[in-house]
Amino acid sequence: MDKIILEIRDKAQELLETGQVEVVIGFTAGTLPGKSTPCFITRGEDCELLVWDEGCKNNLANYLVKEKRKAAIIVKGCDSRSLVNLLTENQLSRDRVVILGAPCPLTEGCEGCQIKSPVIYDYLVSGKAGKTGEDDFHDVKTFARLSPQERKEYFYKEVSKCIRCYACRNACPACYCRECFVENNLPQWVGKSTQLADNLIFHLTRALHVAGRCVDCGACQRACPMGVDLRILNRKMLLEVKELYQFEAGLKEEQELPLNTYDPGDPEPFLAGGGEA
Amino acid sequence: MKEPKIVAFLCNWCSYAGADLAGVSRLQYPPNVRIVRVPCSGRVDPLFILTALKHADGVLTAGCHPGDCHYTSGNLVARRKFALLKSLLDFVGVEKERVQFDWISAAEGNRFAARIKDVTEDVKGLEPWERWGGRQNG
Ligand code: SF4
Ligand code: SF4
Ligand code: SF4
Repeated sequence: MDKIILEIRDKAQELLETGQVEVVIGFTAGTLPGKSTPCFITRGEDCELLVWDEGCKNNLANYLVKEKRKAAIIVKGCDSRSLVNLLTENQLSRDRVVILGAPCPLTEGCEGCQIKSPVIYDYLVSGKAGKTGEDDFHDVKTFARLSPQERKEYFYKEVSKCIRCYACRNACPACYCRECFVENNLPQWVGKSTQLADNLIFHLTRALHVAGRCVDCGACQRACPMGVDLRILNRKMLLEVKELYQFEAGLKEEQELPLNTYDPGDPEPFLAGGGEA
Repeated sequence: MKEPKIVAFLCNWCSYAGADLAGVSRLQYPPNVRIVRVPCSGRVDPLFILTALKHADGVLTAGCHPGDCHYTSGNLVARRKFALLKSLLDFVGVEKERVQFDWISAAEGNRFAARIKDVTEDVKGLEPWERWGGRQNG
């Protein structure tokens, strides 16, 4: 048996049995092979159900936001970056959570992932994470080279598949608003049907809401039952935030989010005529 | 093309006053613009602009020049939002002429009139806007 999972189970069991936490949030085997599923464990003896394998793709940070109990959470690189965000945004108090970091179990990893080991933890399970790719944003750059008409057609076609189930939003650790703008009715910003206009406005707005906070974990896209390509929008914002403000989300605590602040000398690439009167 | 409809979000302290000056100075500019006065360019949520595009063919957003904001930094915070919105719209193929931004001071009646003229003419030169694929008319 893999040393990493044994270490995770031991630590989780110890945390529960010594009363340091009331619940452990981790993964257990799913009903389909290769699809591990999030689980909430409250008894030490159940810790043997925990797994740490290729199927542990979801971003568990999402579950912490609503968790009222004192919890331990098992994180890989991306989940830990979401935790950093949640801490920065005061959605989580550091003393209420025990972070059990472990190297990312995905051997292939997600395309472009740079940080497979946790950036924040109380205990770090030793072991080597699979290799990281290089993120040159070739997907975004290739897309940007298409003609505006082609880009629009692609985006409209993707978004027309959306059935507005909000699984993408619900799976996203950066989307924790008690009332999402899509649910507002005074004013009602977007209609609730799947009219293309409303779908487009929903997806553009969500991309802007998570800009500077999205950690490219892919949870939104994996959650989508219609296979909508949401990633291209999020990654465009990732690249833009990086280039304009030299910022990458969730890397260290105590960093100001790019849209919560400004620099007097910020670039103004959006100004009409380049800013000439 | 039918006369385009342009929506302009103008901040109360500079750009709206600039529009006012254009008016009292009797400067000529196209009548295509519908002005929405907002307290500060920092108040302009991207949703305002995206929603306006459901009903209009072009949107201009203007605020005080950086450094001149009545609330010190409203426009500086807005600047980052606008930069991202603009690049996102461009990325998904919305023509850059359709959504424009500028800083217009209370003394720049000329600049206001010129910008309305530019935006209106730019938008006239584009393919008709399908308003996010929606069916709204007018
Ligand atoms: S938008 Fe998607 S990729 Fe980004 S943090 Fe949310 S779930 Fe992860
Ligand atoms: S889409 Fe925006 S409003 Fe809705 S939950 Fe996410 S961040 Fe909040
Ligand atoms: S998960 Fe997919 S279908 Fe559901 S709202 Fe999001 S994009 Fe639309």
